[in-house]
Amino acid sequence: MTISSSTAVNFDPPVATMPRHRKLKLWDWAPYVFISPFFILFLIFGAFPLGFSIYLSFHQWDPAMGLEAMKWVGLENYIFVLGDDWFRQSLWNTIWIAIVSGAPQHLIAIPLAFFLNIAFGHWRNTVVGMYFLPFITSTVAIALVFNSLFSREFGVVNQLLTHLGHLPILEWVFPSTNIDWTKPEYVRWQIAFVVWWRYLGWNTVLYLAALQTIPRDLYEAALVDGATRWQQFWHVTVPLLKPMMFFAITLTLIGNLQLFEEPFILTGGTGGIGQVGKTAAMHMYNTAFVESDFGTASAVAWLLFLFIAVLTWLNNKLFNHSGLKDH
Amino acid sequence: MKFSLKRSMIALMLTIGSTVQANTTITIASFPDLDRSAKVAIPLWKKKYPKIDIKVVSLSYADHHNAMTTALATGANLPDVMAVDMGFIGKFAESGGLEDLSKAPYNGLQLKDKLARFSIPLAMSGTGALSAMPTDIGPGALFYRKDLLDKAGVSEEDLTKSWESFIEVGKKIKASTGAYMLASANDIKDIYIRAGLQDGEGIYFDKTGKVLVNSPRFEKAFQLAKQARAAGIDSKVNAWSNEWSESFKRNKIAAQMMGAWLAGHLHNWLAPDQKGKWRSAVLPGGVYASWGGSFYAIPKKAKNKALAWEFIKLMTTDKEQQLSAFRTVDAFPALLEAQTDPFIDQPIDYLGGQKARRQWLETARRIPAVDVDKFDPVANEIVNTELEKVLEQGKDIKTALTDAKNLIERRVRR
Amino acid sequence: MQHKLTVSSIAAYAVVLGGAVIMLLPFWFMFVFATRSDAEILSVPPPIWFGNALLANLNQLLERLPYFWHNLSMSFYVATATTLANLFFCSLAGYGFAMYDFKYKGTAFAIVLGTTLLPAFLSMIPSVLIFTLFDWMNQPRALIVPGMCAAFGVFMMRQYIATAIPKDLIEAARIDGCTEFGIFWRIIVPLVTPAFGTLGLVTFIGTWNNFMSPLVVMRDMEMFTVPLALRSLAGTGQVPYGAIAAGSAIAVLPLLVMFVLASKRLIEGMTAGAVKA
Repeated sequence: MTISSSTAVNFDPPVATMPRHRKLKLWDWAPYVFISPFFILFLIFGAFPLGFSIYLSFHQWDPAMGLEAMKWVGLENYIFVLGDDWFRQSLWNTIWIAIVSGAPQHLIAIPLAFFLNIAFGHWRNTVVGMYFLPFITSTVAIALVFNSLFSREFGVVNQLLTHLGHLPILEWVFPSTNIDWTKPEYVRWQIAFVVWWRYLGWNTVLYLAALQTIPRDLYEAALVDGATRWQQFWHVTVPLLKPMMFFAITLTLIGNLQLFEEPFILTGGTGGIGQVGKTAAMHMYNTAFVESDFGTASAVAWLLFLFIAVLTWLNNKLFNHSGLKDH
Repeated sequence: MKFSLKRSMIALMLTIGSTVQANTTITIASFPDLDRSAKVAIPLWKKKYPKIDIKVVSLSYADHHNAMTTALATGANLPDVMAVDMGFIGKFAESGGLEDLSKAPYNGLQLKDKLARFSIPLAMSGTGALSAMPTDIGPGALFYRKDLLDKAGVSEEDLTKSWESFIEVGKKIKASTGAYMLASANDIKDIYIRAGLQDGEGIYFDKTGKVLVNSPRFEKAFQLAKQARAAGIDSKVNAWSNEWSESFKRNKIAAQMMGAWLAGHLHNWLAPDQKGKWRSAVLPGGVYASWGGSFYAIPKKAKNKALAWEFIKLMTTDKEQQLSAFRTVDAFPALLEAQTDPFIDQPIDYLGGQKARRQWLETARRIPAVDVDKFDPVANEIVNTELEKVLEQGKDIKTALTDAKNLIERRVRR
Repeated sequence: MQHKLTVSSIAAYAVVLGGAVIMLLPFWFMFVFATRSDAEILSVPPPIWFGNALLANLNQLLERLPYFWHNLSMSFYVATATTLANLFFCSLAGYGFAMYDFKYKGTAFAIVLGTTLLPAFLSMIPSVLIFTLFDWMNQPRALIVPGMCAAFGVFMMRQYIATAIPKDLIEAARIDGCTEFGIFWRIIVPLVTPAFGTLGLVTFIGTWNNFMSPLVVMRDMEMFTVPLALRSLAGTGQVPYGAIAAGSAIAVLPLLVMFVLASKRLIEGMTAGAVKA
């Protein structure tokens, strides 16, 4: 897979106009030096674990037995995982949660950032800060609070819903009895809500940072042309936000498809009834630590890796297709 | 490897024997609340070995066992003494990364008669190696609210004589007090699948690894759980959730089956206001089962094996230590000597002056030495998933158990 | 910008503020829980106002975790070092990817992105083998060095630099005789401060909250980072929620400070004037 540069570089190097015998210019090798720290660190700390996990995925290994207990099984792990209902279901759960929590994040974060960029004056940072707080709230607190809010018998959410359910007209919409949030049909919604809640502020901050770079005079020019606020947003902001959108959406894609922490905590590690809340990463964790089968877990990891890589590539294609230019 | 091992063993035996090196530290890796009993032991240890320090490293329950898995895999960061919980003993005993404590210089099997009968076999691997020593056990009990039973006009005997009667009592209690008999119908299944087991039999697997879930024992367990759900006597909450603890506070749970140590939790934080209202009874239908328990093991690559063994002996066979752990963290002693102490017959105020420890002791004596399997956690997860389908989606029990059997066989394919 | 208080803008303000309150709630609870007993925390609905158990919770926290202040400074050290290293190396690499054309650029960048796609806990065991080889076990450097140049940061800086820095600015600098690194240091770095704010923030928070690496690297309790220490209070039986909430509340304060510092950077955003100069 290659990710073509999303920035069309029209850099016409002066090298072309120079006489042939001139030695190479600094800027021919400078970029290699600049990107080298990443690759040096990756070679030392990333390549070996990567290779190890590829090697492992062709073996059967219970880690508690020590390194010498690895047994070669060839492609057996991959065949097992591909035919495994649990893996397929966990993948489906992952996709469902990724879409339901991911799409609203960006659909709300972009207009929210746009609004925050022009409103609230010097209170802006306080408001942004409030939206950002879920990102830094500890997971223990999140688990406690949400389990408490969604409690069937005594939870605030249910009290509110049933309250509304007793009002005329609204009784058509809201339930009159308590909802059992642990039921399979609700578990995924609950997880998706928490994920949405946790990362909305983060995305807003990303978009806000990008909005800061849009020169004011572009808006002023649009105003002179008689553009409405909405038109400014649509014709000035959105096109210039594209690189950041690509970045933020890629991040959400990768993060959501590797979702682990929130569903793990909210369902107590099991994925809930019928495993509807069990994501692919959770399935991998359980395979590794509950079934103590690191070989199969590595196979799951690589299949998941391929899946995410394909989606990331598609995402990249889509963005390139929609004409991603920097200026 | 073997040679250096032997040599280091001899060297260590020598150091213990005569000149103890100053300021050796041995490391105990543990998890709460077990780490507290290790800390309680430090003064006792210091009496015997004033120059040797004990360092207790504690991680959360899951983190500890994951870290130990990694440590055994890589040989890095291994402690001298490793605490292993009942839930992981099957896995760690089979791992081969732990010292065989039945061999010299430990000869752990000589201590076998001093410890609860069912506890030692749990730590035996398939090849007959003794990979850990038991320190505490969790005899199962049925805790119930006597005041709610009185209100419903039923007795403890009605509660425990049979499962059918247990469910009937549940209906009466629900009707007259509004309280649920059980937190979760799953509890009944968990106990019934342990009913009638003989020494050496496994819960999910037999000795040869054959899956046993497609048996009358499981069928009956599922039926009972289904009856309880149909009767509306379980409140569908999971143990340790905040909903569970709130249910106790609001008098919504009339009974809870668990390890004897639950008494301590009820008293300390779950239901401190209900002092005197709770009682302990034996499990219904004559089942004797254990809930949890803890073990200590020595990794093969540990540095101070001889000292580690001394520490383990202190934790498992020292009466004083066993009793102080019982007092401080409700860890029911695995040591028989500690079970004959007058402390056993002291009335427990919280349980209305009941001498419940005596009852738990009787239970402990009758718990069969069940065979644990490395894959018990996997089987347990699958069986739970299938039971949910039976209870929530009306799946046929026989089909569910056949599916469970196939799934287990598929997942533990080798 | 002047804006009129129309009905629609008032509605927008109301919606945004209402949303902010929903966002705030769990955070609020975390501080309330820090001042409540375990039984109160576990009651449903949870308490919404402060109680008087803060001191008791703190006492319990320090009794169970005698090295808690050590753990805090360890977290602080690891997070700060990682953040500073990332700001430098990621912006350097991001600049390389955004402003140059070179052979194998696409492949190199694909590798960068690809490394973010593998789950962390699979590399637990091989990482331990490497650290053992280097004799880095139980050392903070094992937590800092591998993450000094995160793929995510490289990606982010590349996107940002591509968006915010016009090519001709670099051209002009080159003609003026700036060295390649000089361009980066004198021109790019001052212009990308808003992105520094974001990257610094997320790196700091991510490192601060990470418990997977410390779990396998650290062996002594005084070397633990805060999340690991707080997690270590949960075992079989009663979880001291009050103590954990008090610890979490203390541990989140540096993150709040970090956010305030970062948001200063965020609004010092680049202005059109700087580019046009």
